[in-house]
Order: sequence, then C-alpha cells, then structure tokens
Amino acid sequence: MTLELADIQGLVVRGYGKLAAARYLVAELTDAQLAKRWLERVAGQVDSAQGRPEARAVNLAFTPSGLAKLGLGAGALSSFAEEFVSGMAAPFRHAPLGDVEESAPERWEWGAPGDPVDLLVLLFARDEDELRAAEADLLGPDAGVRVVRALDTSPLEDREHFGFRDGVAQPWIEELGPAPFPDSIKAGEFVLGYPNEYGLLTDVPAGELGRNGSYLVFRQLSQDVQGFWAFCEEATLRPDGAVDEAARTRLAAKLVGRWPSGAPLALAPDGDRPELATANDFGYHAEDAAGLRCPVGSHVRRSNPRDSLDPDPGSRRSIAVNKRHRLLRRGRTYGPLLARDELLSAGAPGEWRDEDRGLHFICLVGNIARQFEFVQRTWINSPRFAGLYDAPDPLMGPEPPGGRTFTVPALPVRERYTGLPRFVTVRGGAYFFLPGIRALRYLASLAD
Amino acid sequence: MVPPRDPRPARGAHQLAVAVRAPVQTGRLPALRAALAAIDAARPGTATFPFADLDEVHFARLLVLDDDTDPDGRPIPASLLYLSEIDAPLARHLERLADRGGAALDATFGLCEGYPPAPDAEARRRYLDARRLPSQATYVNTIGRTALQIRQEAQLREAIEGFLDAADDLPADPVAVRTEVQRFVRSRPDLAWATRRARRPPLPWRAREQLHLLAVVVGLTLLSPLILVVLPVYALLLRLHEIREPAPHLRPDPEHVRALAAREDRAAHSPFSAIGYVKPGPFRRVTVRLVLWLLHTASRHVFTRANLSGIKTIHFARWLVLDDWRRVIFTSNYDGSLESYMNDFIDKVWYGLNASFSNGVGFPKTRFLLFAGSRQEQQFKDYLRRRTIDTQVWYSAYDRLSALNVENNALVRSGLCGSMSRTDARTWLARL
Repeated sequence: MTLELADIQGLVVRGYGKLAAARYLVAELTDAQLAKRWLERVAGQVDSAQGRPEARAVNLAFTPSGLAKLGLGAGALSSFAEEFVSGMAAPFRHAPLGDVEESAPERWEWGAPGDPVDLLVLLFARDEDELRAAEADLLGPDAGVRVVRALDTSPLEDREHFGFRDGVAQPWIEELGPAPFPDSIKAGEFVLGYPNEYGLLTDVPAGELGRNGSYLVFRQLSQDVQGFWAFCEEATLRPDGAVDEAARTRLAAKLVGRWPSGAPLALAPDGDRPELATANDFGYHAEDAAGLRCPVGSHVRRSNPRDSLDPDPGSRRSIAVNKRHRLLRRGRTYGPLLARDELLSAGAPGEWRDEDRGLHFICLVGNIARQFEFVQRTWINSPRFAGLYDAPDPLMGPEPPGGRTFTVPALPVRERYTGLPRFVTVRGGAYFFLPGIRALRYLASLAD
Repeated sequence: MVPPRDPRPARGAHQLAVAVRAPVQTGRLPALRAALAAIDAARPGTATFPFADLDEVHFARLLVLDDDTDPDGRPIPASLLYLSEIDAPLARHLERLADRGGAALDATFGLCEGYPPAPDAEARRRYLDARRLPSQATYVNTIGRTALQIRQEAQLREAIEGFLDAADDLPADPVAVRTEVQRFVRSRPDLAWATRRARRPPLPWRAREQLHLLAVVVGLTLLSPLILVVLPVYALLLRLHEIREPAPHLRPDPEHVRALAAREDRAAHSPFSAIGYVKPGPFRRVTVRLVLWLLHTASRHVFTRANLSGIKTIHFARWLVLDDWRRVIFTSNYDGSLESYMNDFIDKVWYGLNASFSNGVGFPKTRFLLFAGSRQEQQFKDYLRRRTIDTQVWYSAYDRLSALNVENNALVRSGLCGSMSRTDARTWLARL
C-alpha cells in the first residue's frame, strides 16, 4: 500500500537532521474561532512527508482537549485510542508508566493534571535566527493560541547527555523503500490506516480525520548526568580508592548496552570500537543469550530486545513479536551538552547539577498501548523483565519494592550492583495526535 | 511475600483447582460488595483473609457474578465464587479454610443462600464442600511444584545472592565456585531442605497420571478411524456456524477499561477473570466440551513444565463451566500487564485461544476453529476487555515472583544436588 506522503506530516519520515535548531511549543487554544482561522492559514505551511525543507519546518499535533475546542464532537473523540483520550497523566497510568515519586505528574512542569495543553507546535529551522523568525511568522497575536511552555532543544547532535550515541536502532518504514538493514517495519505501526505487523489495517478514528495521522508521545526526561557518572565511578573504585576510568566507562556501557561511540556491546564486548558506531544489524540470541556481552537488563537490550525473547529466541517468530513493539523516535536533547572528554575523564565538575538537561523524548506510534506503553511498562519498568529480579531499566525505571539492582553477567559469577539511584526524572509529557494535512484543514473548517 | 516459617522440606503434591459457588441472598449484593472491598482494602493474605497461614494455597480469589439474563432470556441470579489453586489434598484445604478463614467466610458466604446461621468450622466446611464445582480445564505452570516449595526456593536464591555479594575472592573455576555455594547452603540450618531435590507428588498419583495418558493415547488411536470419518462433516458444520454467527466489533465502555486498568499492578502478576455465554445451539455445546477436554488433556500431559507453547508467564489458568454449560468463566494468574497478556495470547497461543473462546458469543470470527479470531488484534482486545470482570479479592502466595523467577529459583535449587561438569556449573551459576 503506497503511503500518501503529501498528506502525512513530515516528522513521520524524517527527524529533520538538516535543521539543527528546534523548539517545541506546548500551547493552549484560548480562542477557538481565532485558532481555527489560524489553523486554516498555517495548514498549508505544515511540512508534509513529501517536502525536503532546507530552511524551516512546522508540524502540528493536538491533545483531545485541543480537538474538542476546535469543535470535534464527543462521539468522534471517543473513537480515538483510549490511552489518548484519557491522557498520559491519568491516575491509573502513573504506576505502569513509572510516573511516581519525583516523576509524578503532579510535579510536572507541564502536562500535569488540569494543565491547559491543547496543541504542540514542532518547529525546526537551520539555525536559531531562522527558528525565531519561523516562530514569529507562525504565531501572531491573532492566532488564538497561547504558548504555555516553549521547550528549547540543544543544537542537534547524535548523542544524548550521558555521552552515548543515540537513535541508532531506528525502525525503518517498509513502504519508504529498501531498508538499510534487514528488518523493516510496516507503515501501519506508525501511521493510521495502513497495514501493520499483524497484516491488519491500523484503526482509523473519527472517520477520515484519523487517516494518515499518528499518535505522538512526548515526555520531557531530565537526566542526572552527574549522578550517573558518579554512580559508575563509585561502583568501580579500585581497592585503594583510586578512580578506575576504564572500569567506570565499562560499567556505564553495561548499563546502556552500547559504548559511548554507539558500538553495541553485543558486537564489541571488550572495548569501544567506533567503527561499529552505527551497527544495527545484529541479534542477541546466537552470540549472547546469557548477556555476558550485553547485560539482559541494559537499557538498549530491553527497549529493543530484537531476537532475544519468547516464544523462540533466535528465530523469526521472536523477531516478528519484537516488530510489534517498535517506536519511531523523533526527540531531541535539551540543556547544555557536556564535552565527551569531560564526561569520560576523571573528576566531575561541580556546576553540572545546576542546569537542567535531558531529552525531549518524542515517539510516533500507531498504537499507544501496544507500542509505547508496552515498551515502557513491560520492558523498561518491569523489575522482572526477561526473568530478572528487582531490576527495572537501570537508567530510567522506577524503584521496585525490593530496591533497584543491576546484574552484569560475568564468569564465573555475575557482578551485582544494588541501590542504584534513578538517573532520569520525568518533568512533563502528554499524548498528542499528529493529524494528516487534510485533517488539519478539516479541523479548521469545523463549526463552532 | 511472607518468608516461609517452616524449614522442613515441602511435601510432594499435585495441584488442584478449587471452585465454590453460592447464590447471593436477595438484596444482599451491596453488602457483599462492601465486604469484599473491605477484605481487599485490608490486603488479602492478612487477618481478614488469612491465606498466608494456609501454605497449600498458591492463589485465591473471591468474585461476584452479577445477576444476568442469558441469550435465551433466562435469568441467572447473582452469585459469589471462590476460586483457589492449591496443593493436594483438597480435604486439608477445606478444613483449614473453614477453620482459619472463618471470619472471611462468614462475612462473604454468610450473605449467600443456605449458609449455616451459627456456623462452626465443620458447618462451614460442609457448606463449602456441598457447593464445590468441577473445573473442566486447568493449566498449571509446573505440575508438582508446591506453594511452600516456591516460597522456600525464593528464600534460597536470595540467600545465595547475598552470599555471592559478600564473597571476596571466589575461585575462577565454576565447579569450585559451586562447591563454595553448596558449602554455604549446608552451613545454614534454615536451608537444610535445599540440599535435597524437591519432592515429587506421591507415586500412586504419578502412576495414575501415566495410566491416564496411556488410556488417552489408546483411546484416540482406537477412535481415529471414526474421527477421520466424522471430521469432514464436523468441519463443514463448523464453517457453516462460523459464517452464520454474528461477530460485531463492539468497543468496551471506556469507564470499564479505566476501572480495570486501575486495578492492575497489584503485584508481579495479576488475576484475570473473564466470563461469557456459550453460543446457542447443540453444535457449540459439543464443541466447547471437546475443546475443553483437549485443552485439559494437553496441559495435564504436554504443557507441564513452565512453558505453554512459548508463553512462560502464566502461573495457573482454568476454564470453569457454569449454569448448565450456558456460561464459561476463564481465570488465570499471569505476569505483567493485561496488554502484554493479550499480546502473548495473540502472538503465541492464538490457536488454543481461538479454539476455546470462539465458542463464546461475540468472539471475532474464526476460520476452522483455529485461525483468524484473536489475530484480529483490536477486535479481539476489545472483545476480551468487554468480557473481563473485576476480581474483587485476590491473594498470591508469592506476589513478587514472575513465573520465570519461580522456574529459575527451582533450577538454582536443583543445581545444588549431584555433580556437575564445568559447562554445567557455568550454566548453573548464570542463573544467579
């Protein structure tokens, strides 16, 4: 089935790597009539999957309250996925998503229960000046839109704040052409109305309104970079108390599942190999079923277990199951990036803690429950992932009742780390819907 | 999870599915719901529902089946259902439940018809025994692994992990490390039971199971000519039914979905309870009987060791036929979330699921009993959520263990016995 690229928003097919500057505007619709006229004007400027913008790009996504304010009826709204309708901050979602304690939605800087979040404007530009101009052009005073929170991003880099290359294992949409690696994913896993990995057409809510749309999951994840490296340092001190830099980096890599360059531990068990930085064509079962190279509990192995889980590890059947739980990640980092050699060298600068830095995690899915929530809950947060004990994701999982442990399989016996702190705190988030471009026009034309 | 108090080795026993059902007295339904909510709020397992004292219990639940009208328009009065998964023998469980669980029984079954007015332990036991129902199909993760054994082996693994954490210079040779672990376990009087293999169910029971298996094989072989003759006719009838029977895609009430979601994550695993009507007509009544027999026979003789055709996350499951085969309730204890459970169903055991559930009203259309059906992901998930009911009171004897944890703990324990090669010792140490 051919993708209607002219109707699908650009973010589905690209992360706008050429546009180094980006800002996400979390906004409230303050005047529905003005907002509709504004939407009518800007719908034509929203970048489609067909464009290849060189200077700037705009994408738009809505929450249920935003769609309701534009005049979408209750019946149409309730045909959207239940997760989207009740929202990321719904009370029964806190525990499963791990949004508890420091990460509880009541503490969020935006998206907390009762916060007015209707619209997300995703702005991309080649530089900061262009970005400012784009924002000024887009949102005049007569837009009927009030920016609740402007989320800035760091200049685009291919690594996240802990110092590791990020975004390597990105799913490839089969319908876009030959994949650069063997396993591509059907478009219906990310865009509504297309065949998915069950060979079924992904549900289209609200009649044609949903077609060519995607669900967009946004989480502002604050990273405690100093805490992360301090933990790795303390856990690997030599008997005389001296810092062991190599062991520190090795433990950090074991927690992540890749070396700082991005080289996967499954392929580079003994040390970083930058030539493998973007390696993505590998499985875990044949070479590393027990996790002696890449720990079963490490972040990348549990967020994309590839061929390693049931029903039959190492087989096509297991890969087929894995393909039903993939996320198209489109996020960017925020806050000042620390130099990699500064991170990896001994001694932690004291000023690290003063600034908030982290990831504006964005992912696009066709099924929030089976993709984002499943990965978050069953793989990332579960302390019992794949037979582990008391071991949620070492970077971002919430603390289980028995305390958080991390096990590095080794010979003759494992190394076990207990009492891991949480290195990632959620500071905001919401479920959005990224409609097709025709649907944007339709929303602008709704009666009041 | 309460650590076991008994340092003696767990006795060998097979597992039983207990079911007791009683109609609720007219007008007492609100009071019963309040009583169940109070037990649930006080954490089942503690004084109000004292299962931690009943070491034969793996899982137990109390749930209300609302009054309803079946597809033929016949009313079904509300009833209370007690379901538990226990280690044999049954008589011991009923006696202990009637004795130590007296207050909980009085507060709940006391609102049902026929409950003795001034109950003592013996009257309660007789009441429960008289209202027992047979479960037509049951699945046990690992047949013969008792609840006490599971709790003891969890304690053993934690002790060994602690030993390894504290050990400074372990030898490099895996066989030598294993010897040190064995020495540590022997040094702990509270782990004395661990130096021997877990006991199996008694020999007479095992012999009976073998005879049953033999009888099944012989019986099916003798019947095979007949089966071959009947099968084409059956298949034709089946297709006709499948084509004719309505299967509209209905969405569940969002409030119901949210209420179910809010009740998840009580522990490492969760209770699942779903109830539905068998499709009308003799064909489905025969089919559901055949399928449940097949499922039961398969879990009794084939899927007996921690792996249900690729699913390793189900502790127990059962199908219980109610109201003269008009309704079937399916209950299970599964690891993780309902979403992951449903995905497991669809991805791994769709055929078994289709074969049993497709006899229920409203199930997504199947082809030849096994195909399509649950593979229609969204329609199946919506169907299952609509059929799911709340488990008002639920108890797990090992609520922090996944089924994989339980299995791993058992292998840690069994690996303490006998001698091992270097490779085997390495594999065994990787379980820690």
